Amino acid sequence: MKSSSTVFLAAFIALSASWAGFVLVPQLQLGRADQAETVPSKDKYPIARPGLAAQGAEVYRSLGCVYCHSQQVGQQGVTVEVVLLDAGTNATTTLTAIGKVKLELNKPETLTGLPKQIAQVDDIAGSDALVKAITGVGGKVEVNVIPTGADISRGWGKRRTVAQDYIFDSVVQPGTRRAGPDLANVGSRLADPNWQLNHLYAPKSTVKDSTMPAYRFLFEKRKIGKIPSADALKLTGDSAPLAGYEIVPTEKAHALVAYLLSLRADAPLWESPVTPPPAAAPATNSVAAK
Amino acid sequence: MTATSTPSPTQIDSSCRLPLFTLFSGAAVWLVLSSVFGLAASMTFHKPDMFADCAVGTYGRAYPAWSHLLVYGFAIPSGLGVGLWLLARLGRVEVAKPFLIAVGAKLWHLGVLVGLVAIMNGQTSGYEWFELPRYAAVILFLAFVLMAIWVFVTYTRRNEEALYPSQWFVLASLFWFPWIFSTATLLLQIFPVRGVVQSSVAWWFSGNLLNVWLTLSGLAATFYLLPKLTNRPLQSHYLAMFVFWTVLIFGTWTGIPMHSPLPAWMSTLSSAATVMMIVPMLAVGSIVFLTTIGAKTDCRGGSLCFSKFGVLSFNLATLAAAIAACPAVARVTDFTWFAHGHTTLRLYGFFAMTMFAAIYHILPRVSGVEICPRRTKSHFWLAMIGTLLLAVPMIIGGIKQGLKLADVSAPFLDSTKAAMLGFRIGTLGEVLIAIGALIFLANVLLSILSHYRAIAKTAFADATAIQPAEVKL
Amino acid sequence: MNADPKQPCSATNEAEPTATTTAMPVWLLSLMVTLLFLSAWYFDLYGGWFEPKVYAPYRSIAHVDGLQPRKSGEEWRSRGKVLYESNCALCHNPDGAGKPSQGPPLAGSEWVLTTGANRLIHIPLVGLAGPIKVKGQDWNLNMAAMGAMYTDQQLADLLSYVRNAWGNKAPVVTAEQVKQARVEIGNRSQAYTADELMKIAE
Repeated sequence: MKSSSTVFLAAFIALSASWAGFVLVPQLQLGRADQAETVPSKDKYPIARPGLAAQGAEVYRSLGCVYCHSQQVGQQGVTVEVVLLDAGTNATTTLTAIGKVKLELNKPETLTGLPKQIAQVDDIAGSDALVKAITGVGGKVEVNVIPTGADISRGWGKRRTVAQDYIFDSVVQPGTRRAGPDLANVGSRLADPNWQLNHLYAPKSTVKDSTMPAYRFLFEKRKIGKIPSADALKLTGDSAPLAGYEIVPTEKAHALVAYLLSLRADAPLWESPVTPPPAAAPATNSVAAK
Repeated sequence: MTATSTPSPTQIDSSCRLPLFTLFSGAAVWLVLSSVFGLAASMTFHKPDMFADCAVGTYGRAYPAWSHLLVYGFAIPSGLGVGLWLLARLGRVEVAKPFLIAVGAKLWHLGVLVGLVAIMNGQTSGYEWFELPRYAAVILFLAFVLMAIWVFVTYTRRNEEALYPSQWFVLASLFWFPWIFSTATLLLQIFPVRGVVQSSVAWWFSGNLLNVWLTLSGLAATFYLLPKLTNRPLQSHYLAMFVFWTVLIFGTWTGIPMHSPLPAWMSTLSSAATVMMIVPMLAVGSIVFLTTIGAKTDCRGGSLCFSKFGVLSFNLATLAAAIAACPAVARVTDFTWFAHGHTTLRLYGFFAMTMFAAIYHILPRVSGVEICPRRTKSHFWLAMIGTLLLAVPMIIGGIKQGLKLADVSAPFLDSTKAAMLGFRIGTLGEVLIAIGALIFLANVLLSILSHYRAIAKTAFADATAIQPAEVKL
Repeated sequence: MNADPKQPCSATNEAEPTATTTAMPVWLLSLMVTLLFLSAWYFDLYGGWFEPKVYAPYRSIAHVDGLQPRKSGEEWRSRGKVLYESNCALCHNPDGAGKPSQGPPLAGSEWVLTTGANRLIHIPLVGLAGPIKVKGQDWNLNMAAMGAMYTDQQLADLLSYVRNAWGNKAPVVTAEQVKQARVEIGNRSQAYTADELMKIAE
């Protein structure tokens, strides 16, 4: 190249192309997102974090938790399950109807142990024939969309995380390392605040052989007064303090735990479909549509 | 110097003295400090409760301190200093306003210090490779622009019209950093964008910083040193141009990992770009091979050794990144220490070693003082073995960790334990790198001190010499 | 070390390196073109063509669209089950059999299996206290307005589920009916007694 102009032109072309691609276009596509509706219940999702949890997000950031924990769930595939709930009144009719769609299912075992999955298809349309056949003879069937993948098998989430999950995070920290488990859904997976506090104070007391460092500076060791504090951690074994002392979480510890408990990303969205699972807790952290 | 004659290399080197002393001495100090934080960070894996009562030593603060000091404290100042010297020498022109560049350097080091204190206090931004808070980022930006302007002015005043490849690389790097850094500061810290656009901007910035800026700066030095030290011409001008264009066009799209909460098109583009980086990597390999083949130069632990290992590391790191970008591999290696391993190889193995090569070449010329070759040789061996001990176990450990993570029947802790041997060896590597950094610091400081001591000695001798005219007969 | 600091150690007029003008090797260019082609093919397959709503592993908008739930009219079954198990099952038991001194049974309960659902809807919206006879047994407990926090649709789903689970079979409840019941209740916060409930139309 003969002059600096060519060099700067090359640099300008290259950099503006990637700037447009990874800064401008994402901002146009995703940067003005607001609350969306879940599918199909049309609840509003996500909701912004309440005060203590928002403070906890700051604690999370300042302690650098992102360098060991990720906050994103991946997904490798999806299956659509057809679950037979009720065989209707006449077993033979039902079996014949099912057999017309899927020959291999025309056997008595299909109707035992209901409700159970009787078929797996690629998309909802693939289940239509079976659903029509079963409901036509008075049976009850449901079709579930189940994302699959290593993260999901580990119980770290029910579906992959998408942009909509992060729009109200003050600093988005999806993380790129898993020295510790993923935290995207820790609020539904480990919902007990006492477990979380104990885990921060003495990880080995809650998870055997844990490699996580202890964060004792988030807690205060106090002499027990007339009555023990309501907040004091219930610790046993090696991590328990000496007799007469109690461990009390500081504001930061409470905030951090509130933040962790607010981490859930399982509301079914258009771009990340999942059938709300019959879990023990309400399915989502979405606000119900009025 | 008369009006029409070009300055001699000696004069050019003298004009570089003040800015380079300021840049390189600060860089060496930050390198040592970064090694200290790196060691503290790695202790978390051997003794997790070591910093249970002390927030500053926890991994979440020591690790960003390490990366901040390594990149902003050591890498950018040394890259800028080497680039300045290259532009001056290749343009056969004295440095313009060296005092202002030195002021910029001092301002830069102040910004690094402010960033470090903020990170230790927990005011990290939360973005990897950009942990410093807003106020420190503004200081660094202003300092860089101040320096870059006068480095560019030096270039415009050049006496040698024809451009040598290294000059293109340095000029591009002068242009690159202010744009990516200001975008990151504006869109992440001053007017933060919403949601995952933050991640996109942050990954765009770190990809451009690590895969483009460091490459530009390091290759500028490599394309100068290898021909110079082997006494051969660079093979060839067109290959170098090819490297230049491909690094710019492909490298700038790297950075977004395959697993990300971003739409599919973004990680697909980035993975493709990372694989395309094989092309400039092979081109660089060809250039180095063709230029140095048959050259009977023994490097003896000096600049040439550093530079050759730097190129080797560059190739390995780029290849590792390209392999990890393939989806089948990414499914195993994403979220593991694999990425940390090849990034370490790029930072320490390629960039730091190339900077050492360049600084050990430049500093004696600028200070007029030879650097003890035995110390340089020890530094080389320590740095090389340390880097290999740090990077390779992390890469292997990362693969083992990934295999365990992908195996859903294995409990999670198995994956961390699978990488444990990698950490143990890695810490040994950190220790060697830290000792090497101390030797580097000693070399740099002693050069500078000896230079000024020699000046003082000459001045003293001049001042106390007996004047013949005083003797009265 | 040199006595004169202004004199560098090496030659005063060292030459700077030069570059040859050998042409670029063709294999490198071909490799680049091949890799570009492969990248384009990869993007075509997996890139979702710049759609912001297409996330891996989904390949296209059509692919995601094909997984959206149908409006089959039976969603209340799974939705209602979730709601029931998160809140009501604690006292009424997950299989609707009730728990002594916690909650009467709902399976086979005449209060649940009324033809019209209006009376049933009022119970979770306001609460029920005092003696009540369920399936021939006497119960005397205190139920808070456990359903007041739900939306119309949610309560409709929940009650539809209760009326059709565990062998129960009764017409589903609609959101409209719940809305109507809320209007009828107005500002009342006092829990119903069994007598007051019987005065409400079915």
